[in-house]
Amino acid sequence: MSGRVLVVTSGKGGVGKTTTSANLGTALAMLDKKVVLVDTDIGLRNLDVVMGLENRIVFDIVDVVNEHCRLKQALIKDKRFESLCLLPAAQTKDKTAVSPHQMRNLTNDLRQEFDYILVDCPAGIEQGFKNAIAGADAAIVVATPEVSSVRDADRIIGLLEAAGLKETQLIINRIRPKMVKKGDMMDISDILDILSIELLGVVPEDESIVISTNRGEPAVMGNNSPAGEAYRRVARRIIGEKVPMYTLDDSSNIMTRFIKRLKLAR
Amino acid sequence: MPVEAAAKGHENEIVMDLSAYDNLEEMKVQLEKSLGLVGDFGHKDEICLDIGTKRLTEKQLRELEKVVSLFGLSLKELRYSQKRGQGHVPHQVPLDSHELLQGGDTVMVCRNLRSGQKFYTRGNIVILGDINPGAEVIAGGNILVMGALRGMAHAGALGDEQSVIAAFRLNPTQLRIADHITRAPDGEMFKVDNPEMARIRAGKVVIEKMKF
Repeated sequence: MSGRVLVVTSGKGGVGKTTTSANLGTALAMLDKKVVLVDTDIGLRNLDVVMGLENRIVFDIVDVVNEHCRLKQALIKDKRFESLCLLPAAQTKDKTAVSPHQMRNLTNDLRQEFDYILVDCPAGIEQGFKNAIAGADAAIVVATPEVSSVRDADRIIGLLEAAGLKETQLIINRIRPKMVKKGDMMDISDILDILSIELLGVVPEDESIVISTNRGEPAVMGNNSPAGEAYRRVARRIIGEKVPMYTLDDSSNIMTRFIKRLKLAR
Repeated sequence: MPVEAAAKGHENEIVMDLSAYDNLEEMKVQLEKSLGLVGDFGHKDEICLDIGTKRLTEKQLRELEKVVSLFGLSLKELRYSQKRGQGHVPHQVPLDSHELLQGGDTVMVCRNLRSGQKFYTRGNIVILGDINPGAEVIAGGNILVMGALRGMAHAGALGDEQSVIAAFRLNPTQLRIADHITRAPDGEMFKVDNPEMARIRAGKVVIEKMKF
């Protein structure tokens, strides 16, 4: 068995890399895949908090690469899904504690055990980024519909190409359909125009993400979170299912559909 | 004179040390003088110049090339020796001298240039793809973009005011032609939907529709 290593990256901070990693990891586990989440944000670890597994950390990624413990000892089993694991980052070290070569070895070890290895990349383009992409087969670039985020995503895609990572897909996060319709926010097509890469999914802005993050329960587990639903779709796309793309007109509101039809008729 | 410009013959090349001179004029004078003194270069036709800690612009580089060519030589590369007056250990520099010194042909780039990526050529350049914001394209000649130009393009970077920048969608952050720099007016958003070309007319960069 040889798993697939996907790195979740963005360049800019705060666009939802960690949220995306946690939700996609959980969603893939819900689809009965063996998944491990690897937090490479050494010194600023968050993924464990978002997953609600913070208090179970004994060993971390730095202990593993320095052979202070065995890989199995550092992997934390998720409390909800048997097939989901987390390899946490160290908080008391910095990015230089791991080298790209060590990361490559680590991901190769994880490939033997898991179907999907999701690597949560830190913000920036320095050492942490280079470590995170070192062992990856494909990249998921997260961008929000803001000029600064799209600019950074573009830079990141360039760096990924230069590093020989050909397979790069985009998740547009935190989109607000209403603002897009009013022309106050960048449209999906505007973003795709600039970045010219394949779209993997669109995730709407959703307040319940804040709640689920604070509780340490990924939004994909609940049934009434639009963002959670979007992440479930992305996960199904990752395992190769054909799922229709989330569109901005996905509103269940009869009134808006009606108005749209009127507009079309004209 | 403290240090004479020294012409040293290595295996197949001439290396001339100009690191002691501060400005271009001095360098040129000394270069001419020493090359005149040597007179016969045998079968060697390439020369390397060591300019120490100084950095040259493209224009200045061309002036040095001109002097060298008067003696039937071609400039092979520039070297920057680290410490002036001390031993002169010339070391090779990553100034893409080879790329830089090759003739003005047309280069074709078949990909998108993304933020942070830079492309440089002495000749013309044709890009089959987009130039995104944050990317830079610099050419000695013309720039033709068969896609959207959203970044920075500098045509005629060696001083040629006749150079043009043409793009399928011309929507740059900044345009430069020779010594002229322009940008889009503040606050105005243009929706470009046809190919356009920028060139210098009456001392100003103007953008016009492409005529076929």
